Amino acid sequence: MATGMQNPRTRLTWLLIAIVGALTVSPVLMLVLGSFSEGLTAFGQFTTDKYVQAYTDPQFFEVMANTTLFVLCSSTLSTVLAVFLAYLNTRTDIPFKFLFKVISIIPMMIPHLLFSVSWALLLNPSNGLINVALMQTFALENAPFNIYSIWGMILVEGLLDLPIAYLIIAPAMASFDVALEESSRVCGASSWRTLLRVTLPVLRPAILAAFILGVVRSLASFAVPSVLGMPGRVQVLATHLYEMIATGFATDYGKAAAVGMSVLVASVTLIVVYRALTAESERFVTIAGRGFRPSVVELGRARMPLFGVVGVLSFVLIVLPVAVLLYTSFVPYSMVPSARAFSMMSLKHWHEVLGDPISLLALKNSLFLAVVGATLGVLLSVFVAYVIVKVKTRAAGVLESLSYLSFSFPGIVIGVGFMWFFVQTPLYATIWALLLGYIATYLPYGIRPMSSAFIQIHSHLEESSLVCGASPMTTMRRIIVPLLIPGIVSGWILMASMFVRELTLSVVLSRPGTEVLAVQILRFSEDGLWGRLSALGIVMIAISTTLVIAATVVGNRFRTT
Amino acid sequence: MEIRIEGVSKHYQSEGKTIKALDEVTLTIPARQIFTLLGPSGCGKTTLLRCIVGLEMPDTGEIRIGGELVWSKDKGISVPPEKRGLGMVFQTYAIWPHMTVFDNVAYPLQVRGAPKAVIRQKVADTLRFVQLEGFEQRPATKLSGGQQQRVALARALVAEPKVILFDEPLSNLDAKLREETRKELRHFLGKLQITAVYVTHDRVEALALSDSIAVMRAGRIVEVGTPQKIYFDADHRFVADFIGRANLVKARVVAHEGGHTIVDSGLGRLACQQRDFAPGSEATLCLRPEFIRLVAGAAPAAHNLVNGRIDSLTFVGESYETQIRVGDEELLAKVDPDAKLVVGDSVSFTLDPAHCLLVAV
Repeated sequence: MATGMQNPRTRLTWLLIAIVGALTVSPVLMLVLGSFSEGLTAFGQFTTDKYVQAYTDPQFFEVMANTTLFVLCSSTLSTVLAVFLAYLNTRTDIPFKFLFKVISIIPMMIPHLLFSVSWALLLNPSNGLINVALMQTFALENAPFNIYSIWGMILVEGLLDLPIAYLIIAPAMASFDVALEESSRVCGASSWRTLLRVTLPVLRPAILAAFILGVVRSLASFAVPSVLGMPGRVQVLATHLYEMIATGFATDYGKAAAVGMSVLVASVTLIVVYRALTAESERFVTIAGRGFRPSVVELGRARMPLFGVVGVLSFVLIVLPVAVLLYTSFVPYSMVPSARAFSMMSLKHWHEVLGDPISLLALKNSLFLAVVGATLGVLLSVFVAYVIVKVKTRAAGVLESLSYLSFSFPGIVIGVGFMWFFVQTPLYATIWALLLGYIATYLPYGIRPMSSAFIQIHSHLEESSLVCGASPMTTMRRIIVPLLIPGIVSGWILMASMFVRELTLSVVLSRPGTEVLAVQILRFSEDGLWGRLSALGIVMIAISTTLVIAATVVGNRFRTT
Repeated sequence: MEIRIEGVSKHYQSEGKTIKALDEVTLTIPARQIFTLLGPSGCGKTTLLRCIVGLEMPDTGEIRIGGELVWSKDKGISVPPEKRGLGMVFQTYAIWPHMTVFDNVAYPLQVRGAPKAVIRQKVADTLRFVQLEGFEQRPATKLSGGQQQRVALARALVAEPKVILFDEPLSNLDAKLREETRKELRHFLGKLQITAVYVTHDRVEALALSDSIAVMRAGRIVEVGTPQKIYFDADHRFVADFIGRANLVKARVVAHEGGHTIVDSGLGRLACQQRDFAPGSEATLCLRPEFIRLVAGAAPAAHNLVNGRIDSLTFVGESYETQIRVGDEELLAKVDPDAKLVVGDSVSFTLDPAHCLLVAV
């Protein structure tokens, strides 16, 4: 069998390397070439001017300082909160543990853009709801809070990255071998000392991995800096890039590429470190014992206050943004909730949005991209995952590295790379450019569920079907495909829900006629049209939430059988 | 159905090195026997099994199952596994998790296009045979390890294969269940009168289940024989050592007389099983611990009487395991659990020449 199947398998591997390589390497390559070119229209004329311009720009140093502060502080915030929550959930007797599961899934439902907008609605200095309420109550002259600041950005980004950090740290903490702690206690250390000297050091790889992923994500973050940073003129690299290519009259894709190069290099390096760390943390922490339950720390009197903290966090992360958007979509202009405000509620913004041809076009485009993009993306992921898991050649290893490369791509930077690429093709300014960009950037999210589905299919399951007398085709139809379906469904829904709310790549690639939901929402935000923004945002959350709930239901159904 | 394997070799490339998984294996597996391939891990036994079933392709040689040539490098014949009409029980059982017990067992009949009524009847019969009646509609994943093992067996048997192959089918069970399942398997296979090829690294399993055992090492068959032959009369030191616990003592052949081979060893002059060694040549004397029999009190002068001293005693329940020092040699022996012995006691024991096995150095 091995020799018989070698040729088609090898051919498939190389075909996939070509496709995935074209999707992921070409934007990087074009970014590099573009950074050494005069401009989109003068591609290929070698120059280092753009680097000189980009890195001698006096503004650049301020941007770098802001970026460093933003990235490090928000990652620290998310990691500290994640360790705190993970410890409470896995190791203590805190009540209502289901809340932790909710906290870890919510970001899938509330797009970062809308989360940022909801904070702007609450805490902006001119008419933020909380600010106005406080000013009225305490007769203040000035707004006490300003979300349009680096600290506001850090707070919101930290909260946004909290769930992903939690998802990395909580499993590591849950599989922690409690005997390590118990032996420390037996040696005479207090539980606080044990936590500091044993628990946290053993979890260090997982905690570091969460921190680094936070750095990568906040470095690539565009929603928070654009909604909260730009009004207060706090520039970070992502918005600095965006200004070069999207605002003003003199767009400069060469300079953007030059700046983007350093973001890309930093991001790829960090992801390499991240992958090494997660591999290490799996090796470090995983315990072999079965039916094992870590002992539970009794919180005693601290139980309810700590639960209060978790409750507030869940409220802030889940209820508040949706409530604010819903409220704003019904009131005619920004006003603190009151009897008067409720009496003035109407569907005005909803009518405006649903009658707005560009918003409808954006909705149509986003749905098209979600359905067609996720379908094509999953199809590609099935083949890639098959080769990665089942064909263990060196070429398959190359494919694996290639397909996870885009995991480290900051959307806006890779968008600039794609821009350089698509300008050379007839795909420029078409919906297909967005489609290809989406698939290339989000391919790892499709491959991951498919790989785990393939790993689950032990080769013996296939082989025993052959020995039972079934042909390879029958084996495919009756054994392999049925076992893959849960992976296919969850991969599809995951990709679709990401495409519905995609922002960072879209702001670069979207052109008149190819607007998508997130870009349209950003436009409303830039124009201060909060009512319409909220209405469209609620539509987006509804689509996204439906998809995530469907994924969970499907996932649970297949898991139990 | 007889299986004939001739000159089969198989190489693997791993990290730039070539590994010989099978090295010119020639073997005949007789019909209607339980035939075990036994050896340490990495000896090629599983590869040989997978070559027979068709999941691996050898680099050279020929394989015939019941006279039909299923693989020949030279003649370019390669019958795929699904056309070989065999049954196999995998180490992981390979029970399909998305199917019920009925569907798992019915599968080989379904892919052969058997009529529904026949399938139902045969599946019911086979499940009754493996004592899983009433489990038809159970999801396959909701079974215990032992039950999964029997589903795998039922699936392998249901289409009445010419040969059934087992790849370490008991290694995933815990010790107690393994022993029960081994007895069951022996019982099932005894009733069926089918040719079975069984791969294991567990010597007790091999001895208890098999009609014949082939001991393998480094891609080669070292020795083939009945369990008794392999255990008592192995020709090779590796086999004697691998199949059970053995004391290996250096010996020099002195003469052949009275149907025995006489050797000098660290235990003195001993009469052993007759073996074809030239007088003066070196050999290894192999003594199983259970055949070292202590003599009570002052021993009469007898053949193969050895005197020693007890160095250590370990109580293991059904017996004492003791180290007896004889000159420079240290022998492991088994002593009745009620023996009144303490460390340091002088003891005498006799060795039946029939259990003094001589193998090449």
